[in-house]
Amino acid sequence: MKKIGIVAGLVFFVSLLTTPLPAQDVVRFSIPLPLTGSNAKFGEIEKNAYEIALEEINAKGGIKGKKVALEFEDSQGKPEVTRSIAEKLIDVKKQPVLFGEYSSSCSKALAALADERKTPYLVVTGATDDITQQNYKYIFRMNPSNAYYASGMMSFLKEVVKPTSIAILYESSDFGTSGAEDMVKQAEKFGIKVLVKEKYEKGAVDFKPILSKVKAAAPDVIYMVSYVMDASLLMKHIKELRIDSKLFAGGAAGFAIPEFVESAKDAAEYVVTATLWSPQVAYSGAKEFAEKYKKMYKDYPSYHGAEAYSALYVIKDALERAKSWTADDIRIAMEATNMMTAFGPIKFEDKEGYTNQNFMDTLVMQVIKANHETIWPQKYASAKYIYPIPRWRDRK
Amino acid sequence: MAIQVELFLQTLIAGILLGGLYALIGIGMTLIMGVMKIINLAHGELMMVAMYIAYWLFTLLHLDPYLSLFVAMPALFFFGVALQKYLINPVLKVDSILPENQVILTVGIGMVLANLATIFFTSNYRSTPVDYATKAFYLTDFWKNAPIELSLSFSWSLSFLMAVIITIALWFFLTRTDTGKSIRATAQDLDAALLMGVNVGKIRVATFGIGCALVGAAGCLFLPIYYLFPSLGGQFTLIAFVITILGGLGSTVGAIIGGVILGIFESMTATYLGMGWAPVGRFLIFVAALVFLPGGVASLLRKKKFGK
Repeated sequence: MKKIGIVAGLVFFVSLLTTPLPAQDVVRFSIPLPLTGSNAKFGEIEKNAYEIALEEINAKGGIKGKKVALEFEDSQGKPEVTRSIAEKLIDVKKQPVLFGEYSSSCSKALAALADERKTPYLVVTGATDDITQQNYKYIFRMNPSNAYYASGMMSFLKEVVKPTSIAILYESSDFGTSGAEDMVKQAEKFGIKVLVKEKYEKGAVDFKPILSKVKAAAPDVIYMVSYVMDASLLMKHIKELRIDSKLFAGGAAGFAIPEFVESAKDAAEYVVTATLWSPQVAYSGAKEFAEKYKKMYKDYPSYHGAEAYSALYVIKDALERAKSWTADDIRIAMEATNMMTAFGPIKFEDKEGYTNQNFMDTLVMQVIKANHETIWPQKYASAKYIYPIPRWRDRK
Repeated sequence: MAIQVELFLQTLIAGILLGGLYALIGIGMTLIMGVMKIINLAHGELMMVAMYIAYWLFTLLHLDPYLSLFVAMPALFFFGVALQKYLINPVLKVDSILPENQVILTVGIGMVLANLATIFFTSNYRSTPVDYATKAFYLTDFWKNAPIELSLSFSWSLSFLMAVIITIALWFFLTRTDTGKSIRATAQDLDAALLMGVNVGKIRVATFGIGCALVGAAGCLFLPIYYLFPSLGGQFTLIAFVITILGGLGSTVGAIIGGVILGIFESMTATYLGMGWAPVGRFLIFVAALVFLPGGVASLLRKKKFGK
């Protein structure tokens, strides 16, 4: 009797799980994101941003009259986990279009799989160049690739700082390596001598030895590609060693989020960083999104948030224009995308070896009085840049 | 020339400071190794636990990480005692195919701790922004016309100094007190110690507690100069392991020397070879120690007759 009860209970439970919910007027998307692990901070920012966009879209009637529902799958920032999530989405959930992920290595793994399975995938934040350099037909990227992260920074360097030498420090990941390689190429193009180019393992305790070497080389600019805690350790150690370069520059990521200033405190002052977006930028909807995010989560979103927020709008736009919601029709609709978002203009182009890549202006921010201010290009600036920066010993 | 001298000296300073802290991590593991004959692979995770204690004391009560030593060390001591009493000792008594299944148990304990920390505290990176974080002493402040400029970080030096004080205190404890002598006796010859009336069971429990308290102290000293996240343990377990092998299994003096050697070696590789090489260097030392110096630094000391 007891056994029958258990079986009956199990059957009931299973049927609960498998009963199809009224699915016809809801369109569901699962988004792989690193919700635990070392990139969880960024995963959380993006998740929040997706939810804001979701709420707005549903409030305005959803996509073609259907309500949108989002689910988040934790990829732990591991490419192999991302891959298995994507396989599940394609094979089991039959999701016709994929988007999401944070890091370059995860996005790259997802892109390879999605193209093989002929499912469109919108890369939202993965920045390493080669994701859109493989002639993938089904892969679209809305964020500029790493090579273009530095373009705004380069014009700032060329017009204001005019350095003759540079030292590059970078994390030994996909993101760090490609960021550093691109900086080397740009520097060579403009005749800036690369004096030191060193990589480090994420999680290093002490940067002083390598920084002493940088100090001995005395470069005009120190350019660093790091995530947030390494970024603040680097600046703290630079302050301790009193390395007086003309400029300390970061390549987005860790340098561009408020935690950097919180953690590095006064050592963060005057540091400039490339960024793709900032809350004060003049794109329509950018400020509104930033304020809404701040109201809900007590902090301004980083550019990752704006990317995620806009990604859902890009998907909505493509789905509304697609003839049918099959992978191929969605791909055709995506290719024709030409829209303005809170993150900036989105248009997928094939040029300079890239396929379906969005090209846009990048910005430069500087930490001024413990706040990130947009300083370059000057038409988008929220504050006048401070240059030359004072020497360490002259700071209070 | 002056620049090269400055570079070398600055690297050496960094290496010695780092080495002092490494040594403190290594001593805890080596002490447990000596008495229990097992490698405690949850060592780094225990350090992580202490760091969270210090972090929350700082965030909630604004207690300086250095003062939280006095909370974190006893806390970790009792935590270690409990681990030994209720988890490791019962496993010691069970017969199994694997001769050292307590080692596997410590791996499990480490994983549980890391995952609990992720659940309770999320995987966010955290740091304690203390006011003196970037304060440093400069050679030119003391000697106006110095040909070279050297800097000595305030928090790094303080951490190093505390590590030295704790190590000296431990040395007095091990050589001057009955409990300390019993610990050394147990490490040297378990059967003889038993025959001499040492309560080996109790000594084991105490040693595990002390080992944990030491790595807890290291955690508090690392917090102001580093940062914190739940999976940080593995990296430090590895460092402690390398130091224990390098120092000679179970030798305290060996662990101190091993720690300093590793610290200097890592800093030198970072400066002269490149920072990406530091992990490779760590394993090179590890393998070299196993092949060329199986007894570690301790065996050299023994030959020269000034160690025990």
